[in-house]
Amino acid sequence: MISIAISSQKGGVGKTTLSINLAHAFARAGLSTLLVDADPQGSVGLSLTRQSRLLSGFYDFLADPAIPMERLIVPTRLETFSLVAAGQASDYEAGNGSSGSHLARVRAFLRNVSARRYDICLIDTAAGLFGVTNDVIASADALILPQQAEPLGIRSVPKLLEGLNRLRIINPRLNVLGVCLTMLQQGLAVSTEAASTLRQLLPEEMLFQTAIPRDEIYIRASAKGLPVGVLEDGGGAETVFDSLRAEVQAKLGKSRHQAHIQPD
Amino acid sequence: MDPINPWLDPAEVRHLAEQLLRPVTPTRLSAADPGFDSSFVGFTSPESVAAPAPAPAAEPEQQAPAAPPQAPPRETEAPHRKAETNLSAISESPQPPPVAPSRTRFLERIRIFRDWLAKNFHATDIFILDREGKVIFDESGHGRLHFMARNLALASRGSGNIHVKVGPASILEVIPCETPYGRIVLGSIVPEALPANHVQTITEVLIQTASPA
Repeated sequence: MISIAISSQKGGVGKTTLSINLAHAFARAGLSTLLVDADPQGSVGLSLTRQSRLLSGFYDFLADPAIPMERLIVPTRLETFSLVAAGQASDYEAGNGSSGSHLARVRAFLRNVSARRYDICLIDTAAGLFGVTNDVIASADALILPQQAEPLGIRSVPKLLEGLNRLRIINPRLNVLGVCLTMLQQGLAVSTEAASTLRQLLPEEMLFQTAIPRDEIYIRASAKGLPVGVLEDGGGAETVFDSLRAEVQAKLGKSRHQAHIQPD
Repeated sequence: MDPINPWLDPAEVRHLAEQLLRPVTPTRLSAADPGFDSSFVGFTSPESVAAPAPAPAAEPEQQAPAAPPQAPPRETEAPHRKAETNLSAISESPQPPPVAPSRTRFLERIRIFRDWLAKNFHATDIFILDREGKVIFDESGHGRLHFMARNLALASRGSGNIHVKVGPASILEVIPCETPYGRIVLGSIVPEALPANHVQTITEVLIQTASPA
């Protein structure tokens, strides 16, 4: 199993939209996929189902690792797609807890998921590099960084990279798959300039070629509690996430190959 | 008008990004080379650098004893189990240690510093690394802590102290410090992250301790 954290320094960058739709794209491609909501705001749960707000979830496991995984994993209509909500304990966990305080339990959670033979576990984290988000990144195999294509978002990049370099000391095997531009508005100069600046700043392999456009279809999809590809007119958006999924798989395949050919 | 670039240092961003793409390689620790030049008066031999720190404090006025007290047995317990301390006992304004004569042997001065640090900040598992990450002084016996401190200091790129939680009531506090002999890195386990004024005090005292005559 590959665990992939979806994290950003700044909030409101489309992290949850990316998480839900990328997970859906993996599941549609036939990979057994688990989407975990590690955001105390419970955005995945809010996005997907009304009832999921009441489910036990990830933070309940952190509070009590004796909770069986069967109580946490929620199946969906797509057989290959399951999710774990944030849970009830997240209300008092929001913003609390030092980095490292949940590391062992986050790792235990991922071991339990792995034992259930999922191919991919995507973890939607809270914004910022602290607390449980740090522990998730310090436990995951890989990391995707959604980055809003606008000036304020780009300004947060150095801080994000600095923080990640520190975290890689705790998790040296963390594979930073790259930055994915989100909320790109092709008709808005400031948005395309921000995207262009980021492409100039970062090494090519650090950026996904696929960018997620800002589109009202995402708002409609989350209002209905659905991944965007499920909407009647969601075919175009589905293609975007299929493309991102293919890039992620290529990067994972490449890094696995590099790991094999590297001498000890 | 460029709304973004004035906020960013492109070279820094690229460096940080490239660092993320490189595999992290563990560093081999060696105490053979202290990393100080030949004008330094404290060391007599590389072996003395590698030796674990004796526990009893040397009085500031006292010269190196003829027969130093026995070093305590190395702790094998994980450091994060040892820092459970009454935090309220940490002094708000810690007194600096008694000033040792500047030509007092280096390790004696470090031991005085160590005792002061332990007493005033409940610090344990204290160690000091040189500019190359090699061990100058160590009472922790945990190479993993050295490795983590070295990398945290590198990642901080001179922006000050860094701390990470390593246990339920244990923080690894890493304080990089510029001395006349180059950058050294102080690491210790404390029960709670140190506030900025305490870090400043510790830095000043460490610079004084590590400075030549």
